[in-house]
Amino acid sequence: MTQSQPNPHPTPSAASLVSVKDVSMVFPTGTVALQNASLEVAAGEFISLIGPSGCGKTTLLRLLADLIRPTSGSIRIGGKTPEEARKSRAYGYVFQAPTLMEWRTVLQNVMLPLEVMGVPKAEHKPRAERMLALVGLEKFARHYPWQLSGGMQQRVSIARALAFDPQLLFMDEPFGALDEITRENLNLELLRLWRETGKTVIFVTHSIPEAVFLSTRIVVMTPRPGKIETVIPVDLPQPRSFETRETTRFFEIATQVREALRKGHGFEVQE
Amino acid sequence: MARAVHPPRKAPPLWKNEGVRWLVFAVVALVLWELGARLYNSPFLLPAPSRILEEFLKTPALVLTHAWITTQEIVLGFLLGALVAHLAALLLIVLPEWLEDFTFRAVSTLNSIPFVALASLVVVWLGVNGIGSKVAIAALYAFFALVYFVHKGMVSTDATKEELLTSYSASFVQRVRYLKLPFALPIIFTSLKGAAMAAVNGAIVGELFGAFQGLGFMILDSRYVGNTARVFLAAVFCTLVGWILLGVLTALERRFVGWHLEMTRRG
Repeated sequence: MTQSQPNPHPTPSAASLVSVKDVSMVFPTGTVALQNASLEVAAGEFISLIGPSGCGKTTLLRLLADLIRPTSGSIRIGGKTPEEARKSRAYGYVFQAPTLMEWRTVLQNVMLPLEVMGVPKAEHKPRAERMLALVGLEKFARHYPWQLSGGMQQRVSIARALAFDPQLLFMDEPFGALDEITRENLNLELLRLWRETGKTVIFVTHSIPEAVFLSTRIVVMTPRPGKIETVIPVDLPQPRSFETRETTRFFEIATQVREALRKGHGFEVQE
Repeated sequence: MARAVHPPRKAPPLWKNEGVRWLVFAVVALVLWELGARLYNSPFLLPAPSRILEEFLKTPALVLTHAWITTQEIVLGFLLGALVAHLAALLLIVLPEWLEDFTFRAVSTLNSIPFVALASLVVVWLGVNGIGSKVAIAALYAFFALVYFVHKGMVSTDATKEELLTSYSASFVQRVRYLKLPFALPIIFTSLKGAAMAAVNGAIVGELFGAFQGLGFMILDSRYVGNTARVFLAAVFCTLVGWILLGVLTALERRFVGWHLEMTRRG
């Protein structure tokens, strides 16, 4: 495949959950953060957006979440505009930093979206407790976030994003600031959560092994201007485990991702 | 992930440190003052605490009446000033940018007028009789001690937390309730303590400019007749009121921003 060829971005069925058509984002400074991006995501997929800094992966996620508006193109989430999707609480967003409220206990942090969204009060505590159990932190409900390690804080923020049971989970390099060992553990935990909850996940990362391990498809993005280079399906069997990382197929797909990045001059990727 | 995890700790009861420390301080300060005054031996310039107590016992009911009036002025002024400061800070946040800018300049301009000039005007406007004008002046002092900090606290929230609430489609009121106010609360409490002291000053300044009762009136009146001990007595009562206000605010601070005290104690 040469550079001049159109990107063969696979298109799931007509009933895709997330539909991005020809979306561009130019910032007031003139930076083209994203150019003519198109992507279809089916319900239940785990999609990773991978690429070096400046490739537009976070921009794309923020566009989906209606935290910013595109310069051109159209986005549909379950048939709705991103704004409508946001207002109907269609997605949970996990930021790179845990972004927990320091004045609230762990349990109260997980309850926050329920309070804001007007979920009946009687449900707040049991639901938050269930979410904390899901991420294995039920024993830390009464702690304050700053009494926990970075990895635990990020698990709280994942529990918080799941608390109001959104269909979609947007994750912006959630494990980027963690050490490798913690990250691999949380990768495994995230896969388990994904299987158990049936959520659709769109996950931003700049780690190739992380993307291969987690995803059903990997969207490879390259910078200057930010664009989607190619989309690589990951056919590693589920459920995946630590051993998955040592299979030949794992390395083959990692190599495919690496080559796609190189092709788009995007090879400033950290691994 | 194996970092040591601290169990939730309860803040020690108030008396255990603050109360006891203040008491020890008061006793030591009084003893030093008594000794110093006796050594210096010039009761007109520096009366000893025993001399001041003697002065109080001459007309205890009258002094307490003065003190009670000033206390009302301080407390009402403080509450009014604090309320208006919070409303003003919220108003500054919701106003469109150009209007916010204009209002901010207006507040800063008023703030740069010497308080004493403002105070004398307030007495002219609201009259010498009653506590109204003094409450207003105390409120003015408290307001300016607070408004900048409340505003600054509420606009200093970090961008990601604001975005989190955007992702929840939170309303402005929810933003204030769940993020801006709790985030600003530690700085607000620190400023409230300053504002309480400012309210004490405001009430006294107000009374100096126009009053027939209160501790400020007592100061002025006693000075005319050269009764230094009585001036000191009034000052001591001002301090007592200030202490009580600080105590109440410290207790509230522990109750509402105990998390912050605990968090910063670790670092």
